[in-house]
Amino acid sequence: MSFHAIVIGTGVDALVAAHMLARHGRQVLVVEERSPAIRDFGWVPSKVVADLGLALELDAPDPWAVALLPDGGKLELWRDLRRTADSIRRYSDRDAQKWPDFCRRMAALARLFERLYLEAPTDPLNLRFALGARGLGREGMVDLMRLLPMPVAELLDDWFECDSLKGALAAMGILNIQQGPRSGGTAFRFLHHHVGSPAGVFRPPRSDIGGRLRQLPRSGLSFRTAQARKIRIDGGKVEGLVLDHGEEIVAPIVVSGADPRRTLLELADPGWLDPELARGVGNIRARGVAARLSFEGPAKGNLVFAPSLDYLERAYDEVKYGRISRDPYLEAHSSPRGIEVHFQYVPQGSGEHLGALVATARRLLPGLENAKLVSILGPADLERDEGWPQGQPYHAELALDQALWMRPLPELSQYETPIEGLWLCGPAMHPGGGVAGAAGYNCAQAILKERN
Amino acid sequence: MKSYDVAIVGGGHNGLVCAAYLARAGKRVVVLERRERVGGAAMSEEVFPGFRFSVFSYVVSLLRPEIIRELELPRHGLHILPLESTLTPLVEGGKKGDYLAQWNDHDQNRRELARHSPRDAEAYDEFGLELHQMARLIKPILAMAPPDPVSLHPRELLDLASLARMFRKIEKKKFNALWRLLTMSSAEYLDAWFESEALKATKSASGIIGTMLGPRSPGTAYVLLHHYMGELDGVFRAWGFAKGGNGSVSAAIAASARSSGAEIRTSAPVQSILVQDGRAKGAVLESGEEIYADIVVSGADPRRTFLGLVGEKHLPGDFAEAIRRFRFRGSSAKVNLALGELPDFTCLPGRGPHLRGAISISPSVAYLERAYDDAKYGEISRRPYMDIVIPSMLDPAMAPPGKHVMSIFVQYAPYRVNGGWTDARREALGDAVVDTLAAHAPNIKSAILHRQVVTPADIERVVGLSEGNIFQGELSLQQMFFLRPAPAWARYRTPIDGLWQCGSGTHPGGGVMGASGRNAAASILGKRA
Amino acid sequence: MLKTTPFHERTSTLCESHAWRRWAGYIVASSYELSHEREYHCIRAAAALFDVSPLYKYVIRGRDAARLLDRVVTRDVMRAQVGQVLYTPWCDAAGKVLDDGTVARLDEGTFRMTSAESSLRWLDANSVGLEVTVEEVSESIAALSIQGPQSLAVLRALGDIPPLKYFRLARTELRGVPVEISRTGYTGDLGFEIWIPSGNAIPVWDAVMEVGKDYGLQAAGMLALDVARIEAGLMLIDVDYVPARKALAESQTSSPYELDLAWAVNLDKEQFVGRQALAAEKARGPAWRFVGIEIGYPGLERLYADVGLATRLPQAAWRSSVPIYSGAEQAGYATSGGWSPVLKKYIALAHLRAPWARPGTELDIEITVEHRRKRTAARVVKKPFFDPERKRS
Repeated sequence: MSFHAIVIGTGVDALVAAHMLARHGRQVLVVEERSPAIRDFGWVPSKVVADLGLALELDAPDPWAVALLPDGGKLELWRDLRRTADSIRRYSDRDAQKWPDFCRRMAALARLFERLYLEAPTDPLNLRFALGARGLGREGMVDLMRLLPMPVAELLDDWFECDSLKGALAAMGILNIQQGPRSGGTAFRFLHHHVGSPAGVFRPPRSDIGGRLRQLPRSGLSFRTAQARKIRIDGGKVEGLVLDHGEEIVAPIVVSGADPRRTLLELADPGWLDPELARGVGNIRARGVAARLSFEGPAKGNLVFAPSLDYLERAYDEVKYGRISRDPYLEAHSSPRGIEVHFQYVPQGSGEHLGALVATARRLLPGLENAKLVSILGPADLERDEGWPQGQPYHAELALDQALWMRPLPELSQYETPIEGLWLCGPAMHPGGGVAGAAGYNCAQAILKERN
Repeated sequence: MKSYDVAIVGGGHNGLVCAAYLARAGKRVVVLERRERVGGAAMSEEVFPGFRFSVFSYVVSLLRPEIIRELELPRHGLHILPLESTLTPLVEGGKKGDYLAQWNDHDQNRRELARHSPRDAEAYDEFGLELHQMARLIKPILAMAPPDPVSLHPRELLDLASLARMFRKIEKKKFNALWRLLTMSSAEYLDAWFESEALKATKSASGIIGTMLGPRSPGTAYVLLHHYMGELDGVFRAWGFAKGGNGSVSAAIAASARSSGAEIRTSAPVQSILVQDGRAKGAVLESGEEIYADIVVSGADPRRTFLGLVGEKHLPGDFAEAIRRFRFRGSSAKVNLALGELPDFTCLPGRGPHLRGAISISPSVAYLERAYDDAKYGEISRRPYMDIVIPSMLDPAMAPPGKHVMSIFVQYAPYRVNGGWTDARREALGDAVVDTLAAHAPNIKSAILHRQVVTPADIERVVGLSEGNIFQGELSLQQMFFLRPAPAWARYRTPIDGLWQCGSGTHPGGGVMGASGRNAAASILGKRA
Repeated sequence: MLKTTPFHERTSTLCESHAWRRWAGYIVASSYELSHEREYHCIRAAAALFDVSPLYKYVIRGRDAARLLDRVVTRDVMRAQVGQVLYTPWCDAAGKVLDDGTVARLDEGTFRMTSAESSLRWLDANSVGLEVTVEEVSESIAALSIQGPQSLAVLRALGDIPPLKYFRLARTELRGVPVEISRTGYTGDLGFEIWIPSGNAIPVWDAVMEVGKDYGLQAAGMLALDVARIEAGLMLIDVDYVPARKALAESQTSSPYELDLAWAVNLDKEQFVGRQALAAEKARGPAWRFVGIEIGYPGLERLYADVGLATRLPQAAWRSSVPIYSGAEQAGYATSGGWSPVLKKYIALAHLRAPWARPGTELDIEITVEHRRKRTAARVVKKPFFDPERKRS
């Protein structure tokens, strides 16, 4: 059996890429390294849904977030702007008034990124990018220029005074990154996690995209459960893939959903790369900063514990020195596995101290007192179980110097590698984690364009 | 009542530079300085009998070479003495510890770096080359009035297109390297280059100067580059000390301006800028005297200029809003010491050449980050970052024979310190600084004859810089270029006809650079800056 | 402070001229005597001893040691035999020369590399995914170079020297001190380099100097070496070419083809840094060549006679960029040159655009005679200028 392409990985992006290639008549082998998550986090662009004919079931919790206050109160953030404004009004009349305008302006910027995310990235000197940005009008453009490099804390301080509102929103700026709300570039991350959501909803949706992708018709696709060991390269061109048990599969194209470091420095022979590029790949920052706790039972909505900007900043302070946050940022939701709690910050190498997280989670989140713990996965466990390098779910930290046309490195941003036939399609690629399937979709488009 | 072509509010170095250029172009110019001397934060003062200090700003490097040339500053008394080394003592406590020294001589420097890490010694040259390339890239931008990227006005579009052309000519690789510098933290940027903690810390320290950011905060890599843009005698990243203190920089610019016919009035505090029918007409002094001029240029920072001297009622709402949210957050203090003897560093004892350069208290990135953590929550850093020079080593006239003056730049001392700045807190800051220094040079306490502590509140009160920010507004990406100080108003013009700005609160801002003053003058004269 | 080599105790007392120069952060003697002239003639007529310890030296070990070096340099390291020494340049991915030096295969899995620039980071960057260790031995290995027709005789008087072919290396003992001796050098003459653990540096120096007296051996400095290496047509980094890593503009960089090192580029190797760019350049033909230039004596004589002077010749080799013209057009530039005492010719090394690089091409070179710039005839010639039988035999 010969294949046109081999896709490594079972993340959403890898599956999207595989299906897209198969749809265009390619014989594709998917090497599944682990069983994929059925439900996943992140906006699924409608183009991906339409092109693959996915019938997705989206979680649209309402309220989209219940921000827990240290005094036991809560701030409910609804999909309806007016209803949210009413919630906010209990804490600040001024903030309640500003809410609709804030939501409108953030949504306008998010729409620009929605477009940018469904194509291979271009740098800001590119005319199309410039015209797109000018299309925002004066207000939007000024917002964009100011907002991109800003700390999310400054953005929110410009708008609001209510600590718990600012905390709950700022969490999207620091999600899965070793930075605090006062770090520059976190406002961009806040916006990134807003892309694809309706105005006023600042949590990416969850969907059953993983499950749905597996149910799609499989013509042109073969699946194999195995670990990739080595990408066969000759004369600078891909020849195929060697699996862990030694079997060799021949194909002129390998599309890797694994992170760039593993793909280029371990699976491929780095001797094919410019050593400067190899150094750059080795320098891609991918630090996991969170643990995942699972408890039995359903969660009461999407609970957020991030009571203020200073609270989040102090949580971050500890991880800078390699410690687990004593008072962490927590977010809990219902999943097929029960209540899933995102616990941030947990530095790498804190394996033996993970047990302590349970008491902290029970202390800060209601409803966990009697819930039975199912599992705790720290960064090292997530690396092992999910294939996330150092536990970083986005494979490459989504920071401004590793975003857009710089993602994960400018030389790799077009999904292509210097090794002919080797492509990258994982969340380390533009637009990155938090958007489900777009990197795989863009990568497949690039391959089809190249090969046609 | 006298009338002028141009009245300049504030005799800081940028105001003086602007005045000098306008006077050379034949304008009748008056500079109105509140204090009894010119120079703003670039001034020297005999604080204690026989001991002269650059009280605030204390080194020269960023001052644009074209200004030195065009205003003939050496002829007007400017003499810059190079600072040749940086010493970073590494271990705290009375024990003899190690140090990292950076020397001007390439071989000597390399040998010292290799002692800490041979790889770093190698990387250092490449690092230097990259920053040199970046500084070259930025150089033309420093002398440019930033266009308004949003405007549809043909002139703005034209300027924007030429800016885009300039950038498009830049190799992709260099453009991307610049982007990384703009967006990364200095610590992360340096992590990709070096392994030695002391080197990373000392380098990253230049990324936090004047900011309310830590070395791990994105945006600080640019500040690092900003401090690399200093150019002395054609060499980037060369630092110097002005003979006679930084006051002689201002004095030389003032002398140059006067020689071209500018009038400089000291002890002439401006109370407000006269605005009639949306047009600036002149300035009113606190004495009630009114000075009329066709053009008014403010060298004061944007907050002071617009919310203070002009008044919000004359401003469009969105502009006032932009100025209100322009961030200052001063974070730096100065401690000036009169010394009976030289400090003796445990790590490198004696009166070596290291005392002729800078001494940087920055033993590790974590040390700097911890200093920032204190300040983030409104406290003075318990163990601050300090940049120390001993000007009397280079210019003995600064102190009586055998005695010395020491200038210590201190961070972080947040303007919004919990409980506000009081005399007690000022002294607590002085004590923290001396204690920290004593851990490296134990004789310092007995060597101190006099001590002056300058807090951000003092800087604001004395020099008039809002919140004591030494850059007239933070040098963060969201407050730079197009956006400094407000979108659409980055070309030194203001929404009020006839009112212009020339301070560091405009592009490119920061340090004793003078570029803002020069660019403003060019814009006023209708030349392309 | 600058560094001193393990021989400094001896070289400093010998250095009557007090003329020192810097080399890779060390000080080394420019000449020991007041003039370098005799030291030069020792190279060509007797034996000269140079302290070459400032070279950067690395020992590369491990299963993939050969692969690492093969990846880095342009020559075929995989096929190098134990005891073989390769002179080779190495390049960045754009095929521009970073440095040049030697790679010696000490045993199956151990190599020693010498370089002019510190190369640790570059070797690291190329080691990704390989099982290899790189150890810098620049300070722990001292190096002497003994050059000249009597050099072999001097060594034989000190120990058992196995027959060594050109660019071969062997382990032996000199007066009981274990050393490695390679038949290499930078003079284009019969000569050897001795690699000594730093702790034993002085005894070896003393022994060579003592025995050498009977063979006319003399310690020689960099000025003499500079003349000899130009005669041998050997280029010098930072003088004859700008290493790519230090270049401020792309135009300053050179490929091995442009440096006349085509013979050292093995495109049959499947994988090495710069291969793609070099293959393309080879197909295209390099834009520049690095050639020998002979400056005609009659023209020179005439220029001086015109101003009433006798012909002046450079006393030492010069290192500066001198324009070379073909008619009104600039054909290139010379980067180092000088009077060759052994050939009695005024020679120079030059970069010329390809169309003018063929041997025999007549050109003009700029020369300053009594404060005025003039041009005088020069001709492209084959390198090396001086190539004695004894070098290889």
